[in-house]
Amino acid sequence: MTQRWRSLALLSPWLLTLALFWLFPIGWSIYLSLTDYQLFRDPSFIGIANYLALLRDSDFLGALENTFVFVLGTIPVTTVIALALALLLQHPFRGRTLFRAGFFLPWLTSIVVVALIFTNLFARGGYLATLASLLGFTPPEYGFLFDDRTALFAIMGMDVWMSVGYYMLIFLAGLEAIPRELYDAATVQGASWWRRFRSITLPLLRPVLGYILVINTIKSFQVFTEIFVMTKGKFDTATIVFFIYEQALTTDFSFGYASAAAYLLFLIIGLVSLLPFLAFARQRRSLW
Amino acid sequence: MKSMLVSIALFIAVGTVPSLSAKTTLEFWQFWTDSDIRPVLDSLVTVFEAEQNGEIEVNITDLTWADGQSKIAIAFASGRGPDVVELGSDWLAQFADTDQLLPISELVGADTSGWRGWSLARYQDELYAWPWILGSRVMFVNVNLLQQAYPDAEAPNPATFAGFQEITRKIHTLGDEIYGWGSNTAEKHRLYKKFLPFLWGNAGRILSEPSPYAPRRYSVVSSEMAIEALDFYRQLHDSVGYVDTQRGIEDAFMAGQVGIVLSGDWMIKRINLNPPPFLVGTMFVPGGRVPGISFLGGELLAINRKSRYTDEALEFVRFLNRPDVQVAFCKAAFISVPSSLAAVTDSFFVSQPMMRTMNGQMQRVTHPPVTPDWPKIEAAIERAVEEALFGSRFIAGELRQAQRTIDSLIADD
Repeated sequence: MTQRWRSLALLSPWLLTLALFWLFPIGWSIYLSLTDYQLFRDPSFIGIANYLALLRDSDFLGALENTFVFVLGTIPVTTVIALALALLLQHPFRGRTLFRAGFFLPWLTSIVVVALIFTNLFARGGYLATLASLLGFTPPEYGFLFDDRTALFAIMGMDVWMSVGYYMLIFLAGLEAIPRELYDAATVQGASWWRRFRSITLPLLRPVLGYILVINTIKSFQVFTEIFVMTKGKFDTATIVFFIYEQALTTDFSFGYASAAAYLLFLIIGLVSLLPFLAFARQRRSLW
Repeated sequence: MKSMLVSIALFIAVGTVPSLSAKTTLEFWQFWTDSDIRPVLDSLVTVFEAEQNGEIEVNITDLTWADGQSKIAIAFASGRGPDVVELGSDWLAQFADTDQLLPISELVGADTSGWRGWSLARYQDELYAWPWILGSRVMFVNVNLLQQAYPDAEAPNPATFAGFQEITRKIHTLGDEIYGWGSNTAEKHRLYKKFLPFLWGNAGRILSEPSPYAPRRYSVVSSEMAIEALDFYRQLHDSVGYVDTQRGIEDAFMAGQVGIVLSGDWMIKRINLNPPPFLVGTMFVPGGRVPGISFLGGELLAINRKSRYTDEALEFVRFLNRPDVQVAFCKAAFISVPSSLAAVTDSFFVSQPMMRTMNGQMQRVTHPPVTPDWPKIEAAIERAVEEALFGSRFIAGELRQAQRTIDSLIADD
C-alpha cells in the first residue's frame, strides 16, 4: 500500500463522517431549498421561488429585523463589558479567582435553566419589576416578557449576562499574552493608562477581538433557545432560527421553505462575519 | 472442529426458539409522563398483555407536548412510526390528510355509540382515531370572593355575558390586589382556546357551514357576532383582567387573587391535591346571543397505516378505551372527561361537583374545524386576538385580516 493510500485509509473514518453527516445534509438541504418539499409529500423543483417568497414574507422579515436588533444590541454591549471585566480581573487581588469563576458560571449553566429563572425575574411583580418601581421607573404592566416594547430587550439583557463571562475569559487569555515589557517601557516614558490601553492593549488584542466578534456574531444570529423557552416568539421576539423551527417542525412541516430561510441566514452570517476580518485587514494595511 | 459445529448448531437452535413462539411487540407512543400516572399506564398495559396470554407485548415510549408532534411526524415520514400513537386532536387532520393513519370507520363499526368525541377523529367522512381522553373548559370561581361581592343581594345570572361581566366587575372592586377575571397573555396554542368559547357563545363561527347554495366553506371569523365577542373578551381583559400565562393565572387564582378563571380538568386535580384556603365552585361558560358553548379537545388513539400489526393495535386501542380501563386511568390521572359513556357513570365522576360540571359542559361543546390547515388558521385567529388585546386594538380590522388569511388558506386547498 502506498503512502498515499495508507493516509487515505487512516483518514477514511473522518472522511466518511464528514461526507455522511456534513456534506450530504448540506447538499440535500440546498436541494430542498429549491423545492416545495413538505414532510409526507414528494418534492417538486421550484427554483428560487422559496427565496423570493421569503423576501415578501412579513413573518420572515419581522424575524430578520428582530435578529438584527438582537445581534446589534448584544454584541457591542457583551464585548465592551467582557473587555472591561477582563481588564479589571487581569491584575492580582484578593478574591480574583472567585470573581473570575463567578462571572464564568452563567456560561456553564444550562440555557434552559437560566431562561426559566429569568422568566420569573422578568414576570409581573417579579424581582426586576419591583426593582424598577423602587428606582422610580414604571415597569410593563404585565411583566417585561409580555410587552412588545421590552420583551426582546429583556431577552437580550439575559443573553449579555450569560455570555459576558465566556468572552471575558478569552480576553483575559489575550491580555496575558501581551508582553509586560511593552507596558513597562510605556510607563517609563510617562504614558497614561488610557494611552497604554489605546496604543498597546487594543492593537495587540485585535486578533482576540476579531475572534470574539466573529463567534459572537455567529452565535447571536442563531439565537433560539431563549426565545423558545421565554416567549415562543410572541411579543415581537421571533428570530430567524425560531422562524425556521416553526416552518419546519410545527406549522406544516415545510422543509423546503425552512431550508431556504436557513440558507439566507447562512448567507447573512457569512457576510456579516466577514466584516471584522475586512475591518482589521484594512487597519493592518494602514499600519504597514 | 466437531465441537465448533455443535456450538454453531446450538446457537442456531437457540436463536430460532423465540421466532417459533414469536410474540407481537406493539410500539405505543404517549404523553402521560407524570410520575403518578405513568405507573398506572404501565400496570394497565401489563393487564392487557396478560389478557392476550403474553402474545402481545406493548413497548411504551414517552413524548412531551413541547416536541411530540414533530417527533411523531418525523417517525411517520421515516416509515418507522409507532403502531399506536396518542395524538392531540388538533394534529389528526394533518396526519390523516397525508395518509399516515389507518382509517378505522369499518373496523370500529357499531362501537361508536358507546363513546363520545368522534367528531374530533373524523376527517373527510372517515374516522382515523378513537377518542380516548377528552377535555373541555369550565369557569372556576372563588366562592368566598363571590360571597364577599354579593353579601346580601343575589348575584346576577352568570350564564349570560352581561351577568358574567357584572360578577367579575363586582369581584374586581373588592380590593387593589383582587382581580375579577384571569386573562391570558399571548401564549401560543392557549389564547385562542380562551377566546373561542366567547365566539361560539355569541353565535359566531370560524368557518361557514356548507349549504346547497354555498357548498364551499369560507371564513366568517369577522362576522358581527365575532366582533361583538372579541369586544366583550377585550372588555374583560382591560377592565377586570389579571393578565398572565395560564400557569400564572391559575397560581393567582389559587392564591385567592383572581375571582374567576377559565380552565380545564388539570385544575380540578390541582384543587383536590392542594386545596386552597377558600371554597372553589365551577360553572358553565357564559353565552351572549346563544347559551354558552365551551371548547372541546382531547387525545385520540390512532393506528399507523404502515403498522404490521393493525389487528393487535386495534385490540390495544379497544382495551384502553374499555370503560373499566378508562375509569382506572382517569382516577389515577384525575381526568374528568373519559370518552366512554359507560365510564362516565362511575361514582368517581358523579360524586364530585367539579367533575359533574365538566361533564355537564360536555353537553354544550364544540371544537375547531378538523382540517390540515388548522395550525395556520389557529395562528391567524391568535394573531387577531393578540393584536386586539395587546397591539393595534382594532378589533374589526384584525378579525377581517384573520378572515382574509383563512380564506386564502382554504382557497389553496
